[in-house]
This record gives sequence, C-alpha cells and structure tokens, in this order.
Amino acid sequence: MSGGGAIAATSGGRSDAPLSAHALGRTYDGYVALGAFDLDVGAAELVALIGPNGAGKTTFLNLAAGLLDPTSGEVRIDGHVPGSLEARAALSFLPDSPVFYEDLSVVEHLEYVAALHEAEDPEARIDELISRLGLDGWEDALGSELSKGMKQKASIALALVRPFKVLLADEPLDGLDPPSRDTLFSMLAETKAAGAAIVVSTHRPDVIAAADRCVAIRDGRLAYDGPPDPKVLGEIFDRSELEGV
Amino acid sequence: MKAMRSARRRRYVARADVMEVLYRVYLGAIAAVFILAFLAGALHEVPADPGSVAGIRSDAPAIIGIAVAVVLLAGLRAGARGGPLAIEAAEVRYTLLAPVSRRTALRPAALAQLRTAVLFGAIFGAVVGNFVFRRFPGTAVEWIGSLAAFGALVPIAVLGAALLASGRRLRIGVATAIGGALVAWSVLDLALGSNSSPTTMLGDLATLPLQHGASPGLAALGAVLTLGVLAAGLLGIGGLALEAAQRRAQLVAEMRFSASVQDLRTVILLRRQLASERPRRKPWIRLRGGSVWRRNWQSFLRWPVVRVVRVVLIAVAAGGVAVGGFDLTPVLFVLPGPLLFIAGLDLIEPLAQESDHPTRRLLLPRGSAELLRTHLTAPTVAMAVVLLLAALAAAAIGGNPGLALGVGVVVFLPLAVVLVCAAAVSATNDPYEFALNPQLAQTVSLAPIVVALIAGFLPLFVAWKVEGGDGAPISGALGMDFVLIVLALVGLAALTLRFNKREREAQ
Repeated sequence: MSGGGAIAATSGGRSDAPLSAHALGRTYDGYVALGAFDLDVGAAELVALIGPNGAGKTTFLNLAAGLLDPTSGEVRIDGHVPGSLEARAALSFLPDSPVFYEDLSVVEHLEYVAALHEAEDPEARIDELISRLGLDGWEDALGSELSKGMKQKASIALALVRPFKVLLADEPLDGLDPPSRDTLFSMLAETKAAGAAIVVSTHRPDVIAAADRCVAIRDGRLAYDGPPDPKVLGEIFDRSELEGV
Repeated sequence: MKAMRSARRRRYVARADVMEVLYRVYLGAIAAVFILAFLAGALHEVPADPGSVAGIRSDAPAIIGIAVAVVLLAGLRAGARGGPLAIEAAEVRYTLLAPVSRRTALRPAALAQLRTAVLFGAIFGAVVGNFVFRRFPGTAVEWIGSLAAFGALVPIAVLGAALLASGRRLRIGVATAIGGALVAWSVLDLALGSNSSPTTMLGDLATLPLQHGASPGLAALGAVLTLGVLAAGLLGIGGLALEAAQRRAQLVAEMRFSASVQDLRTVILLRRQLASERPRRKPWIRLRGGSVWRRNWQSFLRWPVVRVVRVVLIAVAAGGVAVGGFDLTPVLFVLPGPLLFIAGLDLIEPLAQESDHPTRRLLLPRGSAELLRTHLTAPTVAMAVVLLLAALAAAAIGGNPGLALGVGVVVFLPLAVVLVCAAAVSATNDPYEFALNPQLAQTVSLAPIVVALIAGFLPLFVAWKVEGGDGAPISGALGMDFVLIVLALVGLAALTLRFNKREREAQ
C-alpha cells in the first residue's frame, strides 16, 4: 500500500495495543452514554462493535477519535492521548455521516487530506482508491453533487488515503451497493493484513462474521467481548435489536 | 493547508458576482452618506456646558468601562461554549484531526473574524467621534481618532477574551465569574471615582480628548492589555474543544443559511441552541389555567436566568445609551430601538411558536388574526415593564432623573406596542414568501428593525430638542405619541393582514 493505508504500530504508551481504553466514561447531564468501558484492540485485529441504537458505540468512537472528551477513564491511540499530534497521525476515523468542504471536489479533498497526513506518493493511492471504489467520473464533483452512496464512498476514500495505525469506522457499509460492500470488505482485509487495528461499529451480520472479535455494548456498558459467536450474541440481544443475530 | 486555502479563496472570488457585490457596496455607501448628512444637518449641536463636560470627564470612563465589561462577559461566556470561531464541519473532521498544529489551522479564521469586527468597530467609533467633537473640547482628529481606536479595541478585547476562554476550556461558571468580576471592578471605579479597571482604561481612551493629557498613560495601558488578551487568545487557540467546535459548525452553518434568506426567527432559535438556552424545567412561579394571556406568562416564567439577565441588561443599556445621547451626541439615539427590539423577540416567543406551527393554529376554533391580537397583550405589558426599567436606569445613570422618567411615562405604552408589533412582524415573517423578489424580501425583513429604530429614536430626539429649548414639552409629547400610535396601528394592521392571508390560503 503506497502512501496511505495501515502502517506498523509503534506503541509509545503504557499499553502495547494500538487502541486501548480503560474505565472510559462519558456522561451528559447525568445520563451515562458510556460507563467504565474497557477495550484493547491489537495490531492486525478487526473488532466488530455492536449494540442497539443509543448503546454508546458512536460515543466510544468519538471519544477515541478525540472528538469528545471523556468524563472518566482514559483512551490511548498508539499510546497517546486522543487529540495529540501523534494520536491524530495514527488514527483514521470514518464517521457515520460524511461531511465535505462545499467548494472542494472529491479529488481535491483526497489531495488535501493526503497532504495534511504527509502520505507518500498520494497520486497513485488516490487513483487506486477512486478506481476501486467506483468513483471514476466523479473526481471533480463537489460534495453537494454526490448521491448518498457516492458520499459514503468518498468518505471511505478519505479515511484510507492517508497512513494510519488505527481505523475507526462507524457503520461504514451504510448506503453502499453490494459490489461496493465487497470492495470495502477486501480493503478492510488488506488494511488488517498491513497491521492496522480496526474497530467497525455495525449492525450487519456479514461484518460481525468477518471480524476477529466482537464487542457488544448495551446501555453504555460492555455486554460481551469475545469471538463473534451468533449463539452467544443471540442470548444478549433480541432479534429486533441486532439484525441477523 | 496554505495552498488549499489560497485555492479556495481564488475559487470563491471567481464564483462571486462582482457586479452584485459592487452594487451592494454602492447602495450601502449612498445610504451611509445620506444618513450622516441628514444627521449632521438635523442635529445642530451646540457646545456642551462646562458642568456637563466635567461630569462626563469624571464618570464616562467608568460607565463606558461597565458597558465594555458586560460585552466582555458575553464574550467570555461564548468562549466557554466553544465560540467565537465558527468553522466548517469538514475543517473539524479533516484539518483539526490531522497531525498539524491546530493553532496554525485556526488562526486564519480567527483573524478573518477579527478583521471584520475591528473594521466595523473603528468605522462606528469614527462616525460617533465625528458628531461628538462638535459638542466637546478637543479637535475632530482627536475625537475621531480616539473613538475609532476605542471602536476597534472593543471587538479585539471581546474576541480575545472569547478565544482565551475557548482555548483554555474555561467552564461557563468560571467565565461568568471572571466577566462578573470585571463588571464589578468597573462599577467600583464609578463609585470611587478611580480608573483602575482595564475596561475603565478603555473608557479613558474613548474620552481621551476630554482628559487634557491626564490619562493617556492609562488609555495606552488599556490598549496594551487588550492587545495582550488577544495575543494570549491567539496563542492558546489550539486548545479549542472539538466537541464544541463540531456542534458550533453544524449550528452556525444552519444559522448562516437562515441569515442568508433573512429568516431571523430560525436564527434566533439556532442561537438559543448554540447558547444551550433552554426553558426552565421548573417555572419561577407556577401559573394554572389555559388562557392565551396565561400561556404567555407561563412562557416568561420559564425563562432561564441568562435570558432574564439579558433583557434586564438590554433595558439598562438602552437607558444608558439614551443618557449618552443627551450628554455626548444624539446620534446614539439610534441604538435603544434596535436594542429593545432584541428584547421584543424574546417576549414574542409564544406568538412566534403559534406561527411556527400553522397546522396546530388552524385547527383552533378561533380566527388566526384574533388569536394573534390576544397574544400581543402579555408581551406588550412585559415590554412596558422593560421600558420602565430602561427609564429608571437612565434616571440613575444620568444627571436628570425628571427628564428620564418624564420621557418614560409619556411614551412607554405606545412604544411598547410598536416594539412588540415590530418583533411580531419579524418573528412571523415567512422568508420564502417573496423568494422570487429578493429586494422585496430584504425590505420586509429589515422593515421591523427600521421601525423599532425610528420608534426608539423619535421620543428621545424630541425630548432632546425640547430640553435644548426648541419646542414646547406638551406639543412634543403629543406629537411623539401620535407618531408612535400610528406606527403601532400600522404594525397591527400588517400582522392582521398577514395572518388573515395565511388562513385564507390554508382553506
């Protein structure tokens, strides 16, 4: 993978895991969105983060990305506090709602993000991502001109165009057609093979099945951490809460 | 980052309609020249008597300092909520999450915001200086220079304080305490006749030509401290909380869109969200019953402390500015009307909510126009209270309590109706009604503010004329009440026509 994609983790903190959370908590006016949450994700590991709506999955991802400040506990990205220069260099975040500069085209976004993260040989990486994600012909389109699926593809390209050690993805398959889902699965597999720690928040059984580990959250608390065993997960969640489990 | 910003700027300029921008600048310049020429001709200002000059020399710095401290308090609170920067969501997502210096990334946005505020502040200060020098000792250059510098430094202080609060992630309570301490310090200066508070020092700068060289050092110190606050704010800008930045990015983008279509109502609702200004869960006093009158008071009785304080401060500021108009220059009479209009927008909230939900309103077994008129009663009474507060403030601040209370008693009721009607017209405006005619849409949006400005200006200007011996008190009072009643009737008619039309269209 040239320029972008996973790079080997070089832990600088107390835990060896590229992503490590201990007693991590976040409350809003007394409401516990996430409470005393522990999680270590190792290099070359794909973790599926599951749970019903409002369980705390997105809160955890935002805390790890440095977009939210914890009210208790701590989280480290490659040994560094989220928001620090080192953590920002190590972490790539693919959020559930894509956002774009209104006056930059898709390719300009990719060039900009690649430059900010000092990706090597960005042109080749950008061409590869555009081609594989089916963004050909949309390179010069502005964000407002893209359909929901195209926006998601552009957002995925933005997450993968730069080097990283940890990838956090919030419902990354939403809005994608089946061929694009297959492409994303193979990209996640390549990213994992290159040594990245990956956390994917999802409700989808195909993502859960592809994961090395499944971490379930309910009411802001860790409900399960183990292999993606449908039988065990079925005991924790109702069918209505988790698609296909 | 630099290259991307330059490219975006080039693209923005390339896409902008240059002729449209020039046309707007041209219209703005013509309007400004016309207003200034009109005011210069209408005012015929005479030199102030030595007693007034002495009073202003001793008290004005502290009074101005209190006003600046109040604005600083607002700036600090905005900073504690993540302001004053409003950056794009994409900037938060891509640039601020990239391993680049956040200080470097955020500084251009801060400086751009500062540039605009400083420019407008300096121009406003210079305009006031242009009128003040006609009444007070000192040359035009001295007054225009000192007030332009003051006008430029106030936004610097406010933005600097807000940046400092957001960069240091001050808690809202701490920010309020610091701002409150600054206000208290200036109040103490006023009481003791001292010039120790940094904001009083800025007041020294504003009145520098009056000081005969007594306090240029203090004025300079005030300016240096202000620039120091800005420098500290810019240095710590990278500490901004991304959570607040992200939230602001979303709300401010919506606010900008609403402002671009002159949708003032949505701007107000979004601003309340931005400030986390929510009604109290437990009212100050619980009222039972379901009449429209009670429903309005139930709304007022759920005002959060910050809204109560804001409306009281608006009343005090309107009274203070009116006193400033008598003592410094009548140009300041243009400010109380728009200030009180802002209070009116808070008071008109229950009616605005009826307008926000037309289906609910149309299902009621009453005519919309009748409902609307019933909704105006409580805000009018509340606005009358606000106006009496303003008159009391003017009586306390100025040296002529009889005049302040006299003007207040003569106009408070018709003026309250005009201000409430203006706020109601604005809050119930449909920004898309004249979407195909933007000039008409802008006129409709601006009209209530202009009416509020005239309604605030008129009684004060007439009182100023009468006090100067130009006209009899009784005819002046009757004349201004007549004009205000006409304006109120026009406002009521406009609202009735608007609601009747909407009801017809819905049927």
